[in-house]
Amino acid sequence: MLQTAFNGLVTGIIIALPALAITLLFGVLKFPNFAVGSMMTVAAYMVYALNVQLGWPLLPATAVVAVAFGFICIALDYVTFRPLRDRGGITLMVASLGLGFVLENVARFAYGNAARSFAIELARPFRFFDIRMNREQMTAMVVATIAMALMYVLLTRMPVGRAMRAVADNPSLALVRGIDSASIIRWTWFITGVLLAVGGVLIGMDRALEPPMGTSYVIAVFSAAILGGLGSPLGAFVGALLIGLVSELATLVIPPNYRIGIPLCVIALVLIFRPQGIFGQMYIRR
Amino acid sequence: MSTVVCFSAILALALNFQWGLGGMVNFGLAGFYALGAYSCALLMLKGGFNTFFAALGAMGIVALVCGLVALVTLRVTEEDYFAIVTLGVGEMLRLVALNEDWLTKGALGLTGIPRPLGELIPPPVYLYFMLALSVVLVAACVWVLGRLSRSPFGRVVRAVREDDVVAATLGKNVLWARVRIFAIGGALIGLAGSLHAFYFQYIDPTQFSTIVIAYAFMAVIAGGRGAHVGAVAGAAAVMLLLEGSRFAKELVPGLESDQLAAVRIIIIGIGLIMLLIYRPHGFMREYRLQVPLKHSPGQARPQPPKEAPT
Amino acid sequence: MSEVFRVEGLHAGYGAGDILKGVDLCVATGSIVTIIGPNGSGKSTLVKTLAGLLRARQGEILLKGASIRDYTPPRRVHAGISYVPQEYNVFRNLTVLENLKIAREFMSGGRAKGPVVSDELVALFPELPSRFKALAGNLSGGQRQMLAFACALTVKPELLIMDEPSAGLSPKYMSDIFDCIKKVNDTGVSVLMVEQNAIEALRISDQCIVMATGRVRLCSDAASVLDMPDLQTLYLGDAASGHESLNRASAA
Repeated sequence: MLQTAFNGLVTGIIIALPALAITLLFGVLKFPNFAVGSMMTVAAYMVYALNVQLGWPLLPATAVVAVAFGFICIALDYVTFRPLRDRGGITLMVASLGLGFVLENVARFAYGNAARSFAIELARPFRFFDIRMNREQMTAMVVATIAMALMYVLLTRMPVGRAMRAVADNPSLALVRGIDSASIIRWTWFITGVLLAVGGVLIGMDRALEPPMGTSYVIAVFSAAILGGLGSPLGAFVGALLIGLVSELATLVIPPNYRIGIPLCVIALVLIFRPQGIFGQMYIRR
Repeated sequence: MSTVVCFSAILALALNFQWGLGGMVNFGLAGFYALGAYSCALLMLKGGFNTFFAALGAMGIVALVCGLVALVTLRVTEEDYFAIVTLGVGEMLRLVALNEDWLTKGALGLTGIPRPLGELIPPPVYLYFMLALSVVLVAACVWVLGRLSRSPFGRVVRAVREDDVVAATLGKNVLWARVRIFAIGGALIGLAGSLHAFYFQYIDPTQFSTIVIAYAFMAVIAGGRGAHVGAVAGAAAVMLLLEGSRFAKELVPGLESDQLAAVRIIIIGIGLIMLLIYRPHGFMREYRLQVPLKHSPGQARPQPPKEAPT
Repeated sequence: MSEVFRVEGLHAGYGAGDILKGVDLCVATGSIVTIIGPNGSGKSTLVKTLAGLLRARQGEILLKGASIRDYTPPRRVHAGISYVPQEYNVFRNLTVLENLKIAREFMSGGRAKGPVVSDELVALFPELPSRFKALAGNLSGGQRQMLAFACALTVKPELLIMDEPSAGLSPKYMSDIFDCIKKVNDTGVSVLMVEQNAIEALRISDQCIVMATGRVRLCSDAASVLDMPDLQTLYLGDAASGHESLNRASAA
C-alpha cells in the first residue's frame, strides 16, 4: 500500500504544475481553460523534437521549449481569447475547448498516433524501504518541487507575482493602483506556458507520448484545482497531492479503469457543496 | 449523410433548449448521447423491446438522468461550474460504457441493432425511409420546443436563464423549472441516441467522443442561441462543412488518413473559435425582440471591463 | 491661484443613455473640493469616469492643463491622480504590507525609492505598521478605509479623488478620516471628494459643488454653503448662480 501511496504522490506532484497554471489563469482571466491538456501535449512534442530528433539532452531541451512555449501561449491568447475578453465564462470555455481540439490535432498531424518516448537512459529503479522508485519518478518529484518553490517565491516576493494576485483579487482596483492589466495577462500566460511545458515533459516521462496524452489528464488537473480552490495557488498544490494520492489509493478498492471516477466525483461534490474548495474565495460574478 | 445531419440537429436542439433558453450548459452532451444510444440498443437486444418502445425507453432514461443531475446540482448556480459538473457526468457515462463489458461489450460495442420497421422495408428503400423518419422527427421536435417556448413554461425558462434569483423571488419554482428544462433536453438527446443506434446498427464508445459537443455548439451558435429553427439550420451548415472537408483528401494528396482526420478536427476547432469571435449571435435571431445582452459585441463603445481585464 | 484640474462638458454613461450630461468643474491647486448631491445625481459615475474606469463619451478632462481624457487608469495614476473607491478599495486576499507594496511599486511606475512606508505615511496612519501582516480582508471597515487611503498616498499625487471616504464608518473613524484629509491637503495635495456627510466634509473644504441629475447645479465656496439655512434646497433648486460661481472661482 505504501507503494501505491508513493505512486499517488508522484502523480499528484506532476498534476500540481498544470493545476497551478489553471488556477492562475482562472484567477486572472476568470475562466477555466480546457485547452490545458493539449497545451501540455504540444509542448511535450516540441521537447521530443529537440530531444529525439535533434539529439539534445532532455534538460536543455525542456528549458528552451519552456521559454518558447511561454511566448507561444501569449500568442495563442492574443489570437483566441483576447477578442473574447469581455464575453463571459461560457464563451471562453467553449473557445478553449475549440483550441484544445486544434492543438491536440496539430500534434497528431505532425507526429501521428503512434506512441513515442523521450530519449533518456534506462536506469534501474531503486528501493527505499519497501517502495520501488524509478528514475523518472524521482526526477519528477525533484523538478516539480523546485518549480513549486520558484512559483511560491514569484507569487509572494516579486512585484509581478503580487500584481497577478492583485488582479485576481480585484481587477478594477488593480487598474487604479497603476497595474497595467494587459502586461499582467501576458505574464500569466508566459508562466502558464512554462508550467505546462515542464508538466508535459514530466507526463511524457511517466507514460508514453501520444496525442491524447495531455487531455487524458484534464479531469484530474481540474479536480485538483477545484478541490484546492480555484484561484488559490496553495490550493492547487495541496489539491493536486490529494487527488493523486486518493486516486491511486482508491484503485485498491475499485477497479483500476475507474480511477478517473475519483476526480470526477470530487469535482461534482466540491462544486455542489463547497464551490470555493479548501482555500478559495467565493467570487460573485455577475 | 443528411440523415446523420438530423441526429446532430436534434442534439443541437437539445443543447439550444438547455443552454440557449435555459442557461444550463451541458458539456456532457456526448456522454448523454451515448447513454441514449446504449439504452435503446440494450432495451432491444437484452430487453426484447421493439424499436418504438426502446426509443421511448431511451428517451425516458436520459430524461431521468438529466433530471437527477439538475436536481443534485441545484446549488451550482454559476454557469461555468455547472458546465464542468456536466462534463464530469458525461465522462463518467462514457467510462461506464467503455468498462462495463458485461453490459455494453466495452470497446467492442454492440452489433446487430434492429431498426424500426426493419423487416418490412427492403434495404435499398430503407435509407430513404430513415431519412424521412428523421426529418419528420426533427420537425416534430422543433414544433414541440416552439410551443414550449411560447408557453408560460417558456417564459419561466427565460426568467430562470436571465436571473434565477429574481425568478425565485417572483415565486416561480426555480428548482422544478431547472429540472424540467434539463429533462426535456435529455429526452431529445435520448431520441437522437436511439436514431443513431438504429441508423448505424452498431455502436461503440468511440462514436461518442467529445467532438460531438463541438459540433453541437457550432450549430447552436451559428443558428443563434435560443432560436430553434436556427439550431437546425446551424447543424445542417456545420455538417455540410464537415462532409465538405472530407473532400480535402482529393485536393491535397500525400496526406495519410490519420493526418486528414486531424486536419478535419483542426478545421472544426478553428471554425468554432471564429464563430465565437465573429458571429456570436449566429445568423438568425430569437423569435421575440432581441434585448441586447450584457456582453454583446455589437455595442458601439465597449465599456472598460470591470470583471475581466483587457 | 492656478487650477490643477478641470472638467468640461463631460458626458458618460453605462448603457443607452448618459448619466453625466455635461459636467463642468474645476479644482484650484491645493484646495479641497467636495461634491454633494442626492442619490442618482451621478456622483459615483463622475468619479469613476475621472479615474478612468468609465469611458468619457464627450467632453474634456484636464490635469494641469494637459488632457487625460483618453488615458487608461494606470496612465492617469502615473500622471498624478490617486483614486480611492468607495468600496472594494483594498486587495482583501493580500496582507496590509502587500497592499502598500503594490501601491508603491505600481503607482510610481517603478521609480519609487526608499522604504515602502515613509515616515510621513506612518505619521498620518500610526496604526498601520502593527497590522502589516494581517490580511486586508480581515480588517474592520474603518481600518480598511484607512489602508485604502494610505495606499493612495504611497506616492504623492497631484490630485486625490475620493468616493465617499466616510461611508459606513463609525464616528471615531469618520473624524479621523477628515483630519487625515486635511493633513494631507496641508502637504500640497489637492483633493476632490464626493460625500454624503455633507456638513462634516464641507467643514474642511474650500469649495462645494452640488450635483443633481447628471449636471453641476451649484459651485460655491464651502463656507457659504454651510451657512445656507436649508441645504435641502440645493438638491432641488436650479443653478441660476451656478455658472457665475464657476467663473468667479477660477478667476480668483
